[in-house]
Amino acid sequence: MAKEVYHDRVVTALVLCSIVWSVVGMLAGLHVAAELVWPQLDFGREWLSYGRLRTLHTNAVIFGFGVSALMGTAFYSVQRTCHVPLFAPGLAWFCCVGWQLGILAGGLSLLAGWNAGKEYAELEWPFDIAIAVVWVCFAIVFFGTIARRRMPAIYVSNWFYGGLIIVIAMLHIVNSLAVPVTLSKSYSLFAGAQDAIVQWWYGHNAVGFLLTGGFLGMLYYFLPKHADRPIWSYRLSIVAFWAFTYAYIWAGPHHLHYNAIPEWVQSLGMVMSLVLLAPSWATMINGVMTVAGAWEKLKTDPALKFIVLSLAFYGLATFEGPMMSIKSVNVVSHFTDWTIGHVHSGALGWNAMITFGTFYFLVPRLMGAPLHSVRLANIHFWLALAGTMLYVLAMWGAGVSQGLLWLSLDEIGELSFSFKDIMASMAPYYALRLAAGLIFFAGALLLAYNLFMTVKGRRTVAAAPPAAAEA
Amino acid sequence: MRGFAALADAQPDPVQVFFKQVFWLALAPPVFVFIGSLNFGWRLGAAEPLYLSGKALTLIGIGYFFALLLGLVCTAVLSKWMAATYGARDGLGVHLALVALVAAPLATGSVFHLFPHVFVNLLALIPALLWSLYLLYKGLPIALRIGPERGMLMASALIGCLLVGAVSLLGLTVALWTGGIGPTIGV
Repeated sequence: MAKEVYHDRVVTALVLCSIVWSVVGMLAGLHVAAELVWPQLDFGREWLSYGRLRTLHTNAVIFGFGVSALMGTAFYSVQRTCHVPLFAPGLAWFCCVGWQLGILAGGLSLLAGWNAGKEYAELEWPFDIAIAVVWVCFAIVFFGTIARRRMPAIYVSNWFYGGLIIVIAMLHIVNSLAVPVTLSKSYSLFAGAQDAIVQWWYGHNAVGFLLTGGFLGMLYYFLPKHADRPIWSYRLSIVAFWAFTYAYIWAGPHHLHYNAIPEWVQSLGMVMSLVLLAPSWATMINGVMTVAGAWEKLKTDPALKFIVLSLAFYGLATFEGPMMSIKSVNVVSHFTDWTIGHVHSGALGWNAMITFGTFYFLVPRLMGAPLHSVRLANIHFWLALAGTMLYVLAMWGAGVSQGLLWLSLDEIGELSFSFKDIMASMAPYYALRLAAGLIFFAGALLLAYNLFMTVKGRRTVAAAPPAAAEA
Repeated sequence: MRGFAALADAQPDPVQVFFKQVFWLALAPPVFVFIGSLNFGWRLGAAEPLYLSGKALTLIGIGYFFALLLGLVCTAVLSKWMAATYGARDGLGVHLALVALVAAPLATGSVFHLFPHVFVNLLALIPALLWSLYLLYKGLPIALRIGPERGMLMASALIGCLLVGAVSLLGLTVALWTGGIGPTIGV
């Protein structure tokens, strides 16, 4: 009988694809950031216009970089926490290849002007169907592996990854319900205010269960592995999971404050957003206390720094979000660049930082070789920190200025400033944001080079589950 | 780093540190911003500066002062509370003095509040902030007599708290505007 081994080649492929998408997505982000300073950078071409490139940026970083990383780390960790190889490895490869082709074709369709008009769900109906099919296959592989587990308990990281898979399937299918008119155009099944509520039920929970819950799965597996010690409080992690799952799903209407939706729905969204602070910070405290005892690992492990800092930004983003959902804050902050700063403190400081830390840990283990350069990883850490801080500061400055100027009244109650003048004066902030993006991108390029050099000329090592190894 | 090295061997009295250092660090930015706003108005990028009455500016200045004072003291208390987890020295005086040393570049940078153009202040405070961050990461392990690795963890935990404090200040300010304190806005 052939020796049983973990299916890790698909993990390596997903990690490498994730790195490629991070470069593509951040490059698109840099270009749109530059267009906000120098609008002529679209060179008069539609496919280079802000509207098309911005959607490419968000789709490439969230679904290309983020989901590929989540899929890869879910496949890696579910095998190790269940002590069995992946269920249906062929289907896992189908998920990997199908997802990459979907993002590639979807990205090109966005550049061609296909757009369903829903934020973070811009891809048109043929891609929505393809995404649903791949996602169901992801669920079959993941839950099939859990069903065959040799460990009696289901480790907490799998609860978060499982929550990600189930909730995103539900959100994606409901929000994408549409009537196709042609191959490139469809109309949502929902109309008016209902469409807005469904859209932000999807939009906010994509942030919740993908960018928060999914990455918490990554944290709960890789942080104890990095720190070489168990989670500080396993009980707290389980309580946090259920509280998080219960509270998050209600918070979407805070995106629609002062809009044409019922007042009580807005207030409910605000209250549930505030409640959400408790489970979010429970996880942060759990992470901080786990890593607090592992300080000696910092001497040898450059990756742990990224995770330590990602927890700080996770704390910031999960505090700032509920605070911005308070209606008296939101009335000023909504539609301003403060929101963009908030999103990026989470996206750069939390999602990207924890993914970088995980990749620096994971790739050398997958290859059975040391990291190509610890020095480059250390430089990357400072570039990532500086880039994120600059970005957040620039957007805080721009956002609060916009919020104040847009609403300022003169002595006779007229608006003091014109919208056009205010926006024209934002160029210096946007230039600073571009500089911040360049610094962060430079760090990401170092990571790409470092990890490709680590992988170059090597094959993924074969690792066996403990039961098989002992046999 | 000499200040941090000297602090490593000292056990300062918290009351003395408060009145000799922390109080003045918290006082400088509100005074600068009061003088600047009264003379030049807030320049947020629009063509016309935003002028507020002396009464409103006094109220904002007092609020700013107490917010900074509270922020500095809370950071020291937080640092003292974290000390047990990271095996660092106890004593509120040490932590208060550490916070004062780290905050000094930011308080110095606040001299740019004399010309309260938001972007100019942002540009001026970024190097000050980077210097403060450098001092925190490098100085904390020296002053608290812990290894650099533990210092890195504790400094990062403090940064997390400070980021939350900074964004709370923004949120509180905006909520006060909505509540009618500060500039007249149409909400």
